[in-house]
Amino acid sequence: MTTLEDQASAPPRFVRADGPAKVTGSGRYVADLSLTGMLFAKFRYSGVAHARIRKIDVTAAKAIPGVFAVLTAGDVPDVRYSPVIPDRTLFAKDVVRFEGEILAAVAANSPAVAQAAVDAIVFEYDELPIVADLEAAMADDSPLVHEDWASYAVTGDTPRDRNVATFSSLSKGDVDAGMAEAHTIVKSRYVADGSHAAPIEPRGVLAQWEGDKVTIWTSSQVPFDARNGVCETLQLPSNRVRIIVPHLGGGFGGKCGFHFEAHIAALARATKRPVKLVFSREEEFLVPDRRRESMIIDLTTGLRADGSIVARRGWIAVENGAYTADAAFFAQLAAMHVAGPYKIDNVHIDSHLVYTNHQPSGSVRAPTAPQGCWACESHTDELAAAIGMDPVEFRKKNGIHTGATGVVGQVYDEIGLQQCIDAAVEQIDHAAALGEDEAIGLAVGWWPSFPGPSGAYVRLDSDGAGQIVTGAQECGTGAVMTLRQLAADQLGMDPEDFEIIYQDTAVAPYDTGATGSQTLLNNGRAVVDAAEQIAEQLRQHAADHMEAAVADIVLADGHAHVAGSPSKNVSIAELAEIAGGGELLIGKGSGKPPDYPEIPGMNCVGDQGVAAWAAPQFSCHAVKVRLDRDTGVVRVLDVACAHDSGTIINPIAAYGQVEGGVLMGIGQALTEGTHYGEDGKQRNGGLLEYKLQTFADAPRITTKFIQIPTADAGPRGAKGLAEAPNVPTAAAISNAIAKLVGRPVRQLPMTAERVWNALQEETP
Amino acid sequence: MTTYSTTLSVNGIPYSLAFDASRNLLSVIRNEVGLTGTKEGCDDCECGACMVLLDGHPVNSCSYLAAQATGKEITTVEGLSSGDELHPIQRQLLDAGGVQCGFCTPGMIMSTDALLRRTPEPTDEDIRIGLSGNLCRCTGYAKIMEAVKATAVELSGS
Repeated sequence: MTTLEDQASAPPRFVRADGPAKVTGSGRYVADLSLTGMLFAKFRYSGVAHARIRKIDVTAAKAIPGVFAVLTAGDVPDVRYSPVIPDRTLFAKDVVRFEGEILAAVAANSPAVAQAAVDAIVFEYDELPIVADLEAAMADDSPLVHEDWASYAVTGDTPRDRNVATFSSLSKGDVDAGMAEAHTIVKSRYVADGSHAAPIEPRGVLAQWEGDKVTIWTSSQVPFDARNGVCETLQLPSNRVRIIVPHLGGGFGGKCGFHFEAHIAALARATKRPVKLVFSREEEFLVPDRRRESMIIDLTTGLRADGSIVARRGWIAVENGAYTADAAFFAQLAAMHVAGPYKIDNVHIDSHLVYTNHQPSGSVRAPTAPQGCWACESHTDELAAAIGMDPVEFRKKNGIHTGATGVVGQVYDEIGLQQCIDAAVEQIDHAAALGEDEAIGLAVGWWPSFPGPSGAYVRLDSDGAGQIVTGAQECGTGAVMTLRQLAADQLGMDPEDFEIIYQDTAVAPYDTGATGSQTLLNNGRAVVDAAEQIAEQLRQHAADHMEAAVADIVLADGHAHVAGSPSKNVSIAELAEIAGGGELLIGKGSGKPPDYPEIPGMNCVGDQGVAAWAAPQFSCHAVKVRLDRDTGVVRVLDVACAHDSGTIINPIAAYGQVEGGVLMGIGQALTEGTHYGEDGKQRNGGLLEYKLQTFADAPRITTKFIQIPTADAGPRGAKGLAEAPNVPTAAAISNAIAKLVGRPVRQLPMTAERVWNALQEETP
Repeated sequence: MTTYSTTLSVNGIPYSLAFDASRNLLSVIRNEVGLTGTKEGCDDCECGACMVLLDGHPVNSCSYLAAQATGKEITTVEGLSSGDELHPIQRQLLDAGGVQCGFCTPGMIMSTDALLRRTPEPTDEDIRIGLSGNLCRCTGYAKIMEAVKATAVELSGS
């Protein structure tokens, strides 16, 4: 194990390939693109949380000069879609289930005319009772969000009941027996509001048909998923749909999944014109089926007299919202975070994904984890306090370590959770002494890596210039930019020798996209494989050229040389020129994804495949906060982070992921929460009302990487990193606040008002 | 609808334009002038992605009438570098890792330019306040802070 700072030769810092385009303003995002004859799209939304449709009349809208098309449900194939639980349609049919549901799509020759047409659409409806409260939604007498829930063509092990879209349990050992054995039992309830990904770029889509093929430029994190959604809903073969993502202005999970590409493709086909959609900030808040889910978490934990955890029981409700985007696995994933990275023999957690008449939930940066970790880790501090143990000591004692068995029976290979705790404590102790109304809190977190299929081509042209053609998607993390380094290292070249062709489904092999922190893990392996094929060709050419044995050829510093005789060499550019006259230098990589581990002794009902964690990542964040007791305002002063994400390949990108994740975590801890009115509509769908952290709010952040080259992971033992830093920050802040307030603030975000209210509670 | 005819000077080049008097400067820069480096993130003065300079002063162009910019020198991110040479702010942002998705970057660069003209040797607090009108969701601001400080040192020669 080494920390990054310890390494004798730290990996190089290099400027990202897309950087010059981004700093000069020459880089194009979807909203920056225009095509000749282009029309402008706008959607008509339901504007009501739950209603039966009586009439949608588009006659007047179609009659407005400059309006080229108005489409509704009858104008597209009748397809219900979504992974696992296909419960969505492109346009509302019969019933609308949240305020942002699309009734109709308009294409017109200006945005103003499109808006006039949207306003001219007549929508008549009968209101239905609004399902908003998670527990009430689970009652037998609750109105149903989907009356036809039982008829949907659900796949997998997916138990369902009325408003419970999926049920999952984790169960191991005997919880009743464990509780009977307990010296101390602590029971807690935690309630988290929903929140938003809030990328700074509102999404855009531009579609153009040529003959029977459509090209769609879209701000998607997952171009192949977007393509598959278009193919499914418009019933097209995949080779007639080309998805191109120009530069992407952030996603944070909010731009995962398939969104509005099919609506715009349908408009472009109907009008025989290119059509462009660009969302307003309000639409970005209200409409996408991707926001972070609200949750209710009940936890009961039994402790032995020595402070070890003997049993844990949990009950979770996770908000699905009106439709299932990709949230079918959220119930089980939430249970993993509420169970936590601890050694517990007896565990039982029941977890429910619950329909409401709110915006649908979907994968936002580490879905369910910040909330689940916040509950688990706030509860952990309550446990330590209940038996008078130091919270750090408690975590060191109960936290998993190399060779330990975790909550689901998985036995962990070399992992760095314990070292993360030590490193975070060491860093925060270096921060200045505590002032008045200041406290330190700490939390641990974990997150899986997601092995999956992924492909790339690498080629060297006859001038020695390299190209990486990859299906991977860059959403800002720098993961795709790091591929240059992997290819260069494999070939003894410089990262600057490579350009990257990416984000185009027509030219590159499949990749899952910027989701699940998987780019480096999966596409990294693909690029290394592809580059290695070229390396073999180069070594053969070099051996022929220098009359040496292939096994003796070394590729380094842009040359091939004979081992032990660096002066006997030939440049790779020269070899590329030789190859350019014969068998070309082309490599293709994919490779078998790492296997998932076994979880013996685990009984999962509703297993969605997220209990056994490949290459799990671990983290510990320690924070120092200051409380204003008059107002309840909490300010985060210092955050000390330690992460085990395996080998760190691109340090500059890695630090950036942690620092960005921490700021998002602070927002989620203190200010970012969606408010709903009694009408089921969002009350703070704007950046003035929904507060992101600003430059002035940013604390000092220090980061240490516990680098364990991990077996069965990505290249050189790298694991994922983009989501992990978003997991434990809110929990650590909660524990610091609890020290100052005298009790946990049991609602997330822990707003000034909620903190102030907690301060007014009588100490029992 | 009242069409307004005027000449706007953007990055030192005069453009003769006619647009509706209600149009904001951002949409005229992006659509009529044709420079798309200036971004729209909120249309509400909250995110700063649309920041441009008017006679050197930072302005959210989403909330400024284009007609009002008549007679002022408008500077966008495209006007910052000369030739192929990056402006020190641009180069330092890349070197420090202060650019991730890049959507806030043009606005952040323009605010930085204004800050450093106003305050050539800023304290950390000057930078935090000076750039607090520019939201970044990716970086956590730490690498941007590093880049702005390095730029200040480079430009002031100290």
